[in-house]
Amino acid sequence: MDWQLVGLSFVTVFLAEIGDKSQLAAIALGGNSKNPRAVFFGSTVALILASFIGVLAGGTVSQFLPEKLLKSLAAIGFATMALRILWIGGETETR
Amino acid sequence: METSDRQSVEPVEEIQLSISDLEPQGIDSNPESIQPKPGYFLPIFSSTFITIFLAEMGDKTQLVTLLMSAESQSPWTVFTGAALALVATSLIGVSIGYWLSKKLSPETLDLAVAILLLFITGWLISDVIGS
Repeated sequence: MDWQLVGLSFVTVFLAEIGDKSQLAAIALGGNSKNPRAVFFGSTVALILASFIGVLAGGTVSQFLPEKLLKSLAAIGFATMALRILWIGGETETR
Repeated sequence: METSDRQSVEPVEEIQLSISDLEPQGIDSNPESIQPKPGYFLPIFSSTFITIFLAEMGDKTQLVTLLMSAESQSPWTVFTGAALALVATSLIGVSIGYWLSKKLSPETLDLAVAILLLFITGWLISDVIGS
């Protein structure tokens, strides 16, 4: 294992990801949830799977993925969660 | 010794705390066997997974990872580094959220979380329109 390359990709991805959408989502969902561990696992598995697909598909991934559709669906998902919190009032009341 | 002291002072609260502490662990490790609140782990896990996965597909981080792995001769080494970084940033994110949830009142927290989620929604929409 080339540890220098591991370190390089770690630092690159770490810097790209700090303050990015998915980390903000992790902050929001982790703060709102009674089960932060479930949020941590969900977010980690999603991120790793996304980059796994990236590595697997190589440079062709951006050509066949309906990126706009996926992001629109994600936007709907986040908006739904936000409105649910505002209307129903977070997980404390729904439990 | 501390435990016995506390139990004599506040026995009810101690018991309630220990039950609520134990429940998520039991469901974590064995989602089928214990069902006082069915699907307590899974809905949170899956809603987090689906939204973040959809948001992240074709995003900056994924492109960085695939570019680096395409350029290097060892894509799985790049993937290892990227995966470790993603675990780290998730852990930091969830920890910040958890820490904030202890600091803020439930009302303020709900409002802050809703605003943050709407901010992410707006960010995603601007990605879709801008790209």
